[in-house]
Amino acid sequence: MYKNGISYFGLILLILLSHISLLAIVLFRGNYGDVTDVGLLTAIVLGTDLIYFCVLRLMRQATYTADFALVLLLNMSVIFQSCFGGVGFAFKHYLMTVGAFVCCQIAYLLTRDAVVTEKRKPVYYILFGVLMLSILLFTGSRGIWIDLGFITLQPSEFLKPVFVLLCATSISAQQNKKKTLGFRIVRDNWYVYGCTVLIVLLQWWCRDLGSLPTFLAVAGCGLICRICYPRAKLSKKLIVGLCAGGAALAAIAVKLAPAYVLERLHVDIWKDPSGSGYQQCKALIAIAEGGWFGKGPGQGTLHKVAASDTDIVFSTICEEWGLLMALLAIFTILLILCTSLTNTPRSYYHACIVNGVVAVFVVQMTLNIFGSCNLIPFTGVTIPFISQGGSSMLTSGFLVGLLKATQSPLFHSQVKVPRRKAPILNKKRKAMA
Amino acid sequence: MKSILRGRRLVTLMLLLFLAGMVVLVVRIQLEASFYISQSGKPCYGMVYDREGDVLFDGINGYSGYESGHFADIGSLIGDTSGQMTNTLVARNLELLTNYSFTTGMRRDGKSAITTTLDHAANQATYKAFGKKDGIAIAYNYKTGEMLVNVSKPCVDVAKGYGDISNFPEGSLLCKAFYGTVPGSTQKVSTVIAATEILGAEQLESLSYSCSGSYLNDSHQSINCHKSSGHGQQDIIQAFANSCNPFFAQLLERSGMPLDRIISVYRGMGYAVNGDQKGTISIDGILSETASTTLKDIHDFDTQWGCMGQGETLVSPCQLMMWQSAVANGTGVSTKPHLIASVTNVSGKVTQTAVTEYTEQLFSPAAAREVRKIMLDNGKNHYVASGKIRGYDIGVKSGTAQVNGGKEENSLLVGFVNDPAFPIAFCVVIEKRVGGEVTTHQIVQQMLDALK
Repeated sequence: MYKNGISYFGLILLILLSHISLLAIVLFRGNYGDVTDVGLLTAIVLGTDLIYFCVLRLMRQATYTADFALVLLLNMSVIFQSCFGGVGFAFKHYLMTVGAFVCCQIAYLLTRDAVVTEKRKPVYYILFGVLMLSILLFTGSRGIWIDLGFITLQPSEFLKPVFVLLCATSISAQQNKKKTLGFRIVRDNWYVYGCTVLIVLLQWWCRDLGSLPTFLAVAGCGLICRICYPRAKLSKKLIVGLCAGGAALAAIAVKLAPAYVLERLHVDIWKDPSGSGYQQCKALIAIAEGGWFGKGPGQGTLHKVAASDTDIVFSTICEEWGLLMALLAIFTILLILCTSLTNTPRSYYHACIVNGVVAVFVVQMTLNIFGSCNLIPFTGVTIPFISQGGSSMLTSGFLVGLLKATQSPLFHSQVKVPRRKAPILNKKRKAMA
Repeated sequence: MKSILRGRRLVTLMLLLFLAGMVVLVVRIQLEASFYISQSGKPCYGMVYDREGDVLFDGINGYSGYESGHFADIGSLIGDTSGQMTNTLVARNLELLTNYSFTTGMRRDGKSAITTTLDHAANQATYKAFGKKDGIAIAYNYKTGEMLVNVSKPCVDVAKGYGDISNFPEGSLLCKAFYGTVPGSTQKVSTVIAATEILGAEQLESLSYSCSGSYLNDSHQSINCHKSSGHGQQDIIQAFANSCNPFFAQLLERSGMPLDRIISVYRGMGYAVNGDQKGTISIDGILSETASTTLKDIHDFDTQWGCMGQGETLVSPCQLMMWQSAVANGTGVSTKPHLIASVTNVSGKVTQTAVTEYTEQLFSPAAAREVRKIMLDNGKNHYVASGKIRGYDIGVKSGTAQVNGGKEENSLLVGFVNDPAFPIAFCVVIEKRVGGEVTTHQIVQQMLDALK
C-alpha cells in the first residue's frame, strides 16, 4: 500500500555514497588552504547523516523516501554553502539545516492526524493574525525583516505553512452553505479570501512582492480544491469566470505595480550589465563559465556578487559544481514533491495540504531559478533548502513535514479503538455465525 | 477519492510545468552560453580571416608578429575587442569568435574563427590608391553578395592601439561605407528609376530638354548646371552622362511626374521620405543606415535639388552599391551583401556558411534594364572610350556632392562591371576632392585590377 521504492538500508547507502562523492569532489577539485577544512566538513556531514538515520528509525511512519531525500538535500546544501568562494564549514547554515530537519519531524507529528489537525482551525487563524501583526508592527513599511540582534527573522516566511494549513482546513466546510445577505455562501471561503487580500495588502505595504506569487499560488490551489470538492460540480462557467477574474486582477496588478517592478518586466539586462542587470548578467556568465561540470568547489567568482548564496544560488552552484550538479539538487527537491504522487494522501484535507506545499516549492524555485537566469522578472526569493536563510530553511522543513504527514498519516479511528478489543469482536462474529 | 485524484493531477501539472521550464532553461543556456562568455570581458577569442586565409583579427596572439600596417585598412570594419568600436564585424559577432563550448569551457587553443569574404590584398591596394585623400570604397559580387572591398579612410590601426585616441582624425573609428553621405549626382540613378517607373522607358527616352547653363524653375529659383555655357538640347542618355541639373529639373516639373508617385518609388527603394522612420540594413550584424530625403513640392528648389542628390538627401555608399546590384542584375532586386563566408566553432567544425540572400523588389525589372542601358552607355562612351577605365565593360554614374554648406565637394562614382564572370558592383567616394588630385575612376581601376 505504501511505496518506498528502495529499502531503508538501501537509501542509507545511497545517501552516504552521494555525500562521500560530493566530499571527494571537494577534496580533489576544491579550493581549500588546509585539508583539515575538508576533513571537518566530511566528519560533520557524515556524522549528521548517521544521526538523521537514527532519528528517522525512531519515527513511526509508513513511508520514508521523502525523509531520506530531505537528508540527502540538507547535507548537499551544507557542502555547497561551505564551498562558495573557498572551502570552510558554513556553521550557521548547518545549524539551520538541522533546524529544518527538526521542523520537518515536528510538522509531521503535529499534522499526521488529518481529523485532529483540521479541528485546530482557530489556532491557524490566531497564528495568522499574530504573524500579520508582527509584520505590521516590527518590519516597517519597506522592510521584511525583524532584527532581534542575534538573529534576523522574516515573518512572511513563517506565514507560508500557516497559510497552507489555513487554506486546506476550510475545505471541508464547502457543504456548509449559509444564507448571508440573501446569498447562500460558505463563510469559511470568505475568511480565507479575506486572509488572501490581507496578505496581498501587507506584502504590497512591505514591498515584499517577491513572496506574493507564492501566497497567490497557495490561494489558487485552495480555490481549485474548493471547486473540486466532493459533490461540487465542475461548472465550465465558474472556471471561465475565475480565469477571467484572475486575468483582470493580474492586469490591475500590472497597472498599479511600482515603477521598479514594471522596470523588471521590461529590462534588457545586457543593455545595462553593470546596473539593473548586474546580478543576472553575472549569474548567466557564471553558469556559462561553469559548464556541465563546474570550475571546482570554491573556485568560482560569483560568490563576490550580492545574494550569491540566496537569490542567485543556482548560478553559484552551476559555476563551482556545474550545471549537472545544480540540476541534481533541484531534482532532489522535485523527488521530495513527487513522493506525494506515489503515496497518495488518504484524506481530502491532506490532499489539499499537498497542493499547497507543492505550490510553495514550485513557485519559489520558479521565481528564483528562472528569475536569476532572465527567463522571467528577477525577484528576491530563495530556493528551498539550497539558499541560505534561516526563516526560509525552517519554513521549508516544516512544509516537508506536512508533506510527510500526508504520506504516513495517523488515522484518528485507529487511535480510538484499542487493539485488545479486536478478539472480542471476532468472538461476537463467530457467535453470530 | 475522485477529488483526491484531481488534487494529484494539479500536483502533476505544477511539476510538469516546472520541468518544462527547466528544459527551456537548459536549452537556452546551451544556445546562449557563448554569448554570455563573450560578455564576460575575459574570454579567449579566435581568428578572423579574409577569403585567402590572411589574418584580419588575431584573438589568440594579438597583433604582435604582423608587419606594420597589416591591419591599417580594416580597423574600422573588422574592429577588435577593445570596446572602442561597436559597429564592426568583431564587436557584432563576439559570440562566434569565443573559443568556448559549454562542455569543454574556455580553450586558448580553440579553433573558433570567422572566414570573411573580404579580399585583403585588394582592400590594401584600394586603400593605397587613395594616396593622401580620405574617402570610401566598397565593392561586392552582385551575384553572390560577397563583400570584397571595404575601405574607409582615415582608419584606425588597431595594432597601434588607442593611446593617442584624442588625436585620431575624425571618422577613424567609423566604417563610413555604412553611414549616410550626400550622394551628389549619383542620386540621378534613383530619379531615372522613378521616371522610368512613372513614364515608361519609351516616353522617357523620347523626352528632350534644353540646358543653357541655368534653369529658372516654376518657383522662380535658379537651378544651375556645372557647365555654365550649357549642354544645349539633350535626351535622357546625354543628360545622364552630362549630369545636367537643368534637364533633370525640367524632367521633374514638365514631364507630368506626380510627386506622390516619385515618393512611392523612392520609398520602394528604401528611402525614408519626409521624416519617415529610418531603417537599417544588417550585414552580418553590422548595421548600415538606409537612405533619407525630403520631397515636399515638385516645383520647389529643395525638392528638385534633393532629386539631384544635394540638400537633405543622404545615402550610405553601401546602399548606393546595393542599388547598382539591382540595376546590374536587371531584376530590380538587390543581392544582400554579406561579410562572413563561414564560421568554425571551438573544435574546428564549420557551423555556419554564407547563403546568398536578396532584398524584396526595389523597383521593376523594366526600370532596372533601362537604367542599366543608360549607365552602360555612359560607361562605354565616357569612361572606357576615353581610357579612364580600361579593360572592363562598365556602367557608371559619377557625382559631386556639396558638403560643409557647399564649401567642399566630395567626388563619387557608382557602377558595376557588366561581366557574368566578374560581377562587381561598387561605390567610391573621395572626400573634399579638388582638381588635380586622385580621381574616383583611378581608384575604381586599381580596385578592379586588384580584384581581377
